[in-house]
Amino acid sequence: MFQRVLVANRGEIALRIIRACRDLGVGVVAVYSTADRGAPWLHLADETVCIGPGPAAESYLKYTRIIAAAEKTNVDAIHPGYGFLSENAEFAEMCRASNIEFIGPPHDAMRKLGNKNEAKKLARVAKVPLVPGSEGLIATEEEALKIARQIGYPALIKAAAGGGGRGMRVARNDHSLVAGYQSARQEAEAAFKDGSVFLEKYLEQPRHVEIQLLGDQHGNVIHLFERDCSLQRRHQKLVEESPAPNLPVKVRDEMCKAAVRLAKSAGYYSAGTCEFLVDKQNNFYFIEVNSRVQVEHPVTELVTGIDIVREQIKIAAGEKLKIRQSDVVQRGWAMECRINAEDPGNNFQPSAGTITRWQPPGGPGVRLDTHACTGYRVPPNYDSLVAKLLVHQPTRPEAIAVMKRALAEFIVEGIKTTVPIHQKIFSTSAFVEGHVDTTFIERVFYGQGSAEPGK
Amino acid sequence: MADENKQTPGPFDVATVRELVELMKSFDLSELDLNDGDQRIRLRRGSRVMTTVQAIAPTAIAAAAPTVAQATSAPPVAAGKKLLEIKSELVGSFYSKPSPDKDDYVKVGSHVSTDTIVCKVEAMKIFNDITAKCSGTIAEVCVQNGQFVEFDQVLFRVDPS
Repeated sequence: MFQRVLVANRGEIALRIIRACRDLGVGVVAVYSTADRGAPWLHLADETVCIGPGPAAESYLKYTRIIAAAEKTNVDAIHPGYGFLSENAEFAEMCRASNIEFIGPPHDAMRKLGNKNEAKKLARVAKVPLVPGSEGLIATEEEALKIARQIGYPALIKAAAGGGGRGMRVARNDHSLVAGYQSARQEAEAAFKDGSVFLEKYLEQPRHVEIQLLGDQHGNVIHLFERDCSLQRRHQKLVEESPAPNLPVKVRDEMCKAAVRLAKSAGYYSAGTCEFLVDKQNNFYFIEVNSRVQVEHPVTELVTGIDIVREQIKIAAGEKLKIRQSDVVQRGWAMECRINAEDPGNNFQPSAGTITRWQPPGGPGVRLDTHACTGYRVPPNYDSLVAKLLVHQPTRPEAIAVMKRALAEFIVEGIKTTVPIHQKIFSTSAFVEGHVDTTFIERVFYGQGSAEPGK
Repeated sequence: MADENKQTPGPFDVATVRELVELMKSFDLSELDLNDGDQRIRLRRGSRVMTTVQAIAPTAIAAAAPTVAQATSAPPVAAGKKLLEIKSELVGSFYSKPSPDKDDYVKVGSHVSTDTIVCKVEAMKIFNDITAKCSGTIAEVCVQNGQFVEFDQVLFRVDPS
């Protein structure tokens, strides 16, 4: 086992990793930017090193300063958390070349899975279903029509260089496909100086279901079942739960097996997540692999009783997984609300500032992962996540009841938070019944039709 | 050459370690980190407590401990005067001289201008020259040769008058 680990992150995940290290009896070095000077989690580390100014590019993303801090403080490994450098294969390789273990997957697997085309190739080989579509770029209008008829409407035209909904069109028939093909190309050309597009089946009101994986360096890969993360606003997850409501066990089991196959074929180890979209007919399609610990990992920790961060550290140290697939059981129901420093009443504008009152919920079945406290100043430089409120109960209705109670207990003053929108979500009948998809927030709360991209 | 090396006790010499431990005890030091070429020794006393990194540099040991005590307890020179600070822009090891057998770049009393090199900071085996970026007279050297410095740490105080 490692003697000392450097935590290359901040906020609640830095605290989460520090706690895992403490539980394992491993020393901890925390790094911070000047914007996080004096932050509460830093007091729990054995040693702290200031690595740069507020902007992440000059601190939490600065390879050389992090590795220099790691070398000077004599650590054996670096835990990158999520975001920042967590999925950066180059950084992972540089750490290992400096004789410091990167607590994460092998950099080769990160590279393969981080590239969309490579990841799709791997998925095809591992017989993991992909969203049907063109194998590559579309050259002509005729080709677009041919493929659209093959995969069936509605179809989605996507710019290869696209992002943020630009260069995206939904086509429901030949006529709108031709029009959409032209306008998507023009838009992409104007926005990204690259007019190339591809085509795939457009999934209406899909659900987002992901499989948590754990693999060791000795070829063992297991899954820790699924999380449903359908409740999103502009691709930002708000609520996550496990198990996924109203998902047939047979489908769920197939997804778990597919995820394990993919991880094995990529030579993957450490913690990771395989993300899928599930359509209304419960067909599932691979989207991507997140090669890091995820924000919502505690949902799975609650239902399986497995400490994912602790396992990640043990795996990086070369230990064999002690948990076998048959040992993993889903017990009860867990749900998570992401509490962000954002103002839901003002288009979710970030709400940085000093917390003047912080009264967290508690009691049976409640877990709160947070770095915040009264007097803590939320810096404007980083992610707005201030807390993850989780509940664990035998059944979903009980979990909902406890979450509503916990949300009501949660008092935060000085900054605006997403607590009110969670209260609204947990009082909406469609959500309570478990009928959620990725368009839910826009559709139900903001009346934005089906919230199609590009519209 | 080999004989020469034998005569100067290396950091892993048992007698040296014993001596270092005694020194640590008598001056109540909790941690010691020595580098000598590619050799390194790190000694720790007592329970782990939160420390801001304060590795004691090899030269400080050689010069005996009164220097250490002096350096840590010395009040800021010319108190009351408005002093400028030269801060570290890097994370790494502070070196006060271009090479071990050379003199320090600057000392208390040295005059510096914007482009004067005041020290080197080594990060990932790369030695970076640090310039004063202000002008005046060095009033205080805040870190010691070989010490680990973090971003924004004050390295020198400069009297601008």
